[in-house]
Amino acid sequence: MATGQEKDRRVFRRAGNPEVYFPPLALLVLGILPFILPVFFVHILIMIFLFAILGSAWNLIGGYGGQLSLGHAAFFGIGAYTSTMLMRSYGLSPWMGMVIGAFLAVAMSLLLGAICFRLRGPYFAIATIGLAEVLRLLALHFRDWTSGAIGLTIPFKGSAPLLFQFTSKVPYYFIALIFLWLTLWVVRRVENSRLGNYLLAIGQDQDAAEAIGIDSARAKRGAFYLSSFITGVAGTFYAQYVYFIEPDSVFGLGLSIQVALVAILGGVGTVWGPVVGAVIIESLIQFTQYAFAGTIYGLEQIVYGSFLVLVILLRPRGVIEWMQKIYSKWLRILPGMYASGS
Amino acid sequence: MSFTTVWQAFISGLLNGAVYGLVSVGLTMIFGVVKIVNFAHGEFLMVGMYLSYALWALLGIDPLWSVPIVMAALFFFGVGIQRFFIRRVLNAPDLAQIFLTVGLSVLMMNLALFLFRADFRLVKVPYVDWTFSLAGAIISIPRFIACLGAIVFSLLLAFFLLKTDIGKAMRAVAQDREVSMLVGINPDRMYNLAVGISAALAGAAGGLTISFYFVFPSVGVNFVLIAFVIVILGTLGNLKGAFLTSLIVGVAESVGVLFVGADLGLAVVFVILVLTLAFRPGGLLGGA
Repeated sequence: MATGQEKDRRVFRRAGNPEVYFPPLALLVLGILPFILPVFFVHILIMIFLFAILGSAWNLIGGYGGQLSLGHAAFFGIGAYTSTMLMRSYGLSPWMGMVIGAFLAVAMSLLLGAICFRLRGPYFAIATIGLAEVLRLLALHFRDWTSGAIGLTIPFKGSAPLLFQFTSKVPYYFIALIFLWLTLWVVRRVENSRLGNYLLAIGQDQDAAEAIGIDSARAKRGAFYLSSFITGVAGTFYAQYVYFIEPDSVFGLGLSIQVALVAILGGVGTVWGPVVGAVIIESLIQFTQYAFAGTIYGLEQIVYGSFLVLVILLRPRGVIEWMQKIYSKWLRILPGMYASGS
Repeated sequence: MSFTTVWQAFISGLLNGAVYGLVSVGLTMIFGVVKIVNFAHGEFLMVGMYLSYALWALLGIDPLWSVPIVMAALFFFGVGIQRFFIRRVLNAPDLAQIFLTVGLSVLMMNLALFLFRADFRLVKVPYVDWTFSLAGAIISIPRFIACLGAIVFSLLLAFFLLKTDIGKAMRAVAQDREVSMLVGINPDRMYNLAVGISAALAGAAGGLTISFYFVFPSVGVNFVLIAFVIVILGTLGNLKGAFLTSLIVGVAESVGVLFVGADLGLAVVFVILVLTLAFRPGGLLGGA
């Protein structure tokens, strides 16, 4: 009896600790936000979630494994085109198309792995650019299937949850949030697993990792399966969200760069780095696009480029450590008591 | 498909290839000396093209005469990029280095878009249609001059690196930075020089091609992707490899286009890259 009371008190005290109660509170706020924010901000949040997912997926291979992939658009585009083409030609639900597309993306990662895993550093980066560019050019070339540069629109069916179509942005918001949560869960699982340790070792020094018996090709393959699967799923989500895809936007080098950038700017090899990076980059891009749309050519991209150069000069290892400091300071301001010793 | 068509494509490919070579030797030299992959290299070419265009449009200078001016301007531009940007990330992680140059590329491309809009621009020279024929292949004079210019500048670079003291010092830095410091070479100066010269060569390529190749803000991307393939196939840091490979890639692209259509020219180049790397991970000439 006495022990039970003791336990209750301990649970109560733990719940009073900002470190414990803040994350669920933040999640609750995220759950309420789409209902009270204007549509434009909901859109920004959806784009942040999307790029946080993509950056986290990239982080598995590029951050933990240290393999600079600049071809992730290949997986994204495969996801987007597979579900869209299957829906247009056979009426297949994009939910199914999403799974098929994700597995095709994994198949592509197998091909990429077979060719590129022996390559190091810039060789690997440029070979991945090459593969994604070949897919982009093929998508432009085979007009009969893909409509080439004109792109494909997703036939609009009104509100049809079974066809992954909604008239409001709110369902997309929650789908993206759930996908992000799942992605972060996967990344955390990998981080704490043997695979995660292998990848970190390879990322730091591949020769040393192999010398102590790590099968580097196998570890990279594992990370690439997960990374390409998630990226493929995100591709379908994107297609269903914007209702329009074209080769340059879903297979382009610009997208591959932005995906890697989200992770690098936030901080590679950390669970929350890509999320922080996505918040910063997507807010910047969406706001500048909104502010400068149609006024001055290239201005939003000039802002984006200057920002990128500045951050890398000032914080070459990403902003995550800095953000963590701010976060812990913020927690200290919140009311509540700290459990002693923890 | 007749023999003449293939022969014509072969010759055009060689002419293009030499210009690719001029861009690629600079890119591979920056990697060899400064140990950085310069994603902004195509923008050096783009700046050179716009400068050459501006000199023609405003002052009426023929692009061939303005090549030395463009090269001098681009040299200082390159030195500035090295001193104010690249130098600051030399000790940063690889990812930061690559993404600094990506950022510079985005910045320069869009500054050009801001200044010149997305219009395609071309210098109109009186000799644009002049041709001569060589064993059945028709050769355009401006393209031929561009090819000759590319070969001359590449040979001058080789002479500089092999025969002059500064060139030897630069190669020493490329081989071993610490040891070169021991013998009194200042690596920072060599880095400035390497990036400056590379930018000047890319600028020269811009001035040589502006009479038959349109300039637009993202023109550098087309060139830099091909140049990446070339420097990788020719083994990063190997100048002779880069130049020879660019001739091969130029011909392969030009002949490949006959079979698959013009819109897949770049795809042919990438397929060659991927297949070569699958069998020879160190490039065509390299070992490991």
